Amino acid sequence: MKQFLTFITILIVIVSFSTVGYAQKAAETKPAEQKSAEALSEGKIEIKVDKNQLSGGGKITITGKAPAGRDVYIEVWSEKTVRAARLDSDPDPRTGKRPYIFYMTDEMPGFYKLILPEKYKSVLEEEKAKGKKWSVSEIIKKSGADTVYGYPAKIKIDRYQTTLWASIIGSRGTKLEPMDEKENKRRSMQLLKARFRSIGAIFSSNLKIEENGSFKASVELPSNVAPGKYFVVAKVDKDIKSEPVVIENVVSFPNVYLPNAGRTVNIFWPFLLTLAITTFGVVMGAGGGFILNPVLVMLGLPHTVVAGSVMPTVLFSQATGIYNYSKIKFISWKLGITLGLAMAVGGFIGPKLTELITLEQYKFLFGWVLIILAALMFWQTTPKYLEKNKKEQAILKEFKKRAEEAAKKKSEGGK
Amino acid sequence: MKIEFWGQEFKANLAIGIPGAFLIAIMSSMFGFGGGPFMVPLMTVFMRLPMYVVVGSSLLAIFFNTLMGTARHYGFGNFDLIFFLIMFPAAILGGFIGPKIAKRISPIAVKRVAVAGLLILALSLLGVF
Repeated sequence: MKQFLTFITILIVIVSFSTVGYAQKAAETKPAEQKSAEALSEGKIEIKVDKNQLSGGGKITITGKAPAGRDVYIEVWSEKTVRAARLDSDPDPRTGKRPYIFYMTDEMPGFYKLILPEKYKSVLEEEKAKGKKWSVSEIIKKSGADTVYGYPAKIKIDRYQTTLWASIIGSRGTKLEPMDEKENKRRSMQLLKARFRSIGAIFSSNLKIEENGSFKASVELPSNVAPGKYFVVAKVDKDIKSEPVVIENVVSFPNVYLPNAGRTVNIFWPFLLTLAITTFGVVMGAGGGFILNPVLVMLGLPHTVVAGSVMPTVLFSQATGIYNYSKIKFISWKLGITLGLAMAVGGFIGPKLTELITLEQYKFLFGWVLIILAALMFWQTTPKYLEKNKKEQAILKEFKKRAEEAAKKKSEGGK
Repeated sequence: MKIEFWGQEFKANLAIGIPGAFLIAIMSSMFGFGGGPFMVPLMTVFMRLPMYVVVGSSLLAIFFNTLMGTARHYGFGNFDLIFFLIMFPAAILGGFIGPKIAKRISPIAVKRVAVAGLLILALSLLGVF
């Protein structure tokens, strides 16, 4: 009954959040299109979009005019920001030493697109052919976008000198001096890759430029992007650029924005996924966190936020289990606390490692963890194990019966 | 270490239990799950304790891990409240539904399905397909 009341309370809170999400729909904002007075004169860029408002993402067509004979680039980014992090542990080409510097920002735009002229399509294809070794800076260099790559280059990036020992005691390490403009720009490119993971998420090459300087391009905002403002700027170089055009994206129930994960999700799919996996986990007798976690990561959520949000779910779920077992004196406190203290030390270290490893490393390690788990579970279906377990189950039942009788007697004695 | 459980005395091998618990905690808090599936074999096989002693005590030990891990993940800014509020009631509800289904299904069959599912999940994480 207590569990049920807790569930009702949580459900009420959920409904409240959903109401907030729903209320966003009521806020109909239509920002005016901006047009510079001297749009058509030399050295100016005019830009237009076909719609200023989107609902749950969508496609925008961008048109405009720039000085004839110049390459035009378009940057699109979101007002809402997310975290991006990366541990630099590649050996230095000259010294062979691994720097172990941890870069982190909370100002990475949740959405970023740099649209290149059509003729640079081959640059993107060449980098894609490199597999995981593709480079943001290579694309920008080869497509002549170095002077127009602007918005992410200015974000504030913290960096820490970390060490093995710092990782063991769970700290990020020693904070280093801020970087100069050039270095910050370079590191922002690496963080872009760490955050967005693929070339197609950052770049596209559908910008068509006419001889007279007219241009046209389109950009698709996926349905999982954040609500709020999006900015569009066309550029020829760092000085010649258009005024920003603002587009508003509205997200409405049953979709909600997850601020730390930086994604908009339909509220029902993680709910139903968790429900299915938890139910299966209980039937399996092993909990479901180790299945839920990789599934959520493979569906595109950041592994750090998945680990950080699934773990408290496990925490609160098992608290009731502990309470129930303690009522019938089925816990050896001496044993539980002794091992618990060892686990607390391990629990102090683990979350730091989550931050340091890349998504690829996370998947690789988790893959092996699951193989070990599968082996353990298979072993639990072998005849030898089952026979031993049967005996212990009988003893378990006997003890439970005794425990319940003792508890009953105690409560009667209390009256 | 000697522990008493309903009038019986058992000897727990801490030399293997403590390092094992520590390593399991690092791994499970790193990946965001409780560690139960690893703790139970550790305690039954390596520490040579019977299942009826292990089942409640492992839950208590794991609680220390998930409490510490949760606090640390939160401190690093990796907790998403809305995401948690979507998942948590589903987990509680699953905890209600699970035991009812468990009574009607062969636990061996479920575990075998789980083994297959885990292997498929593992192989896709490792990039095999």
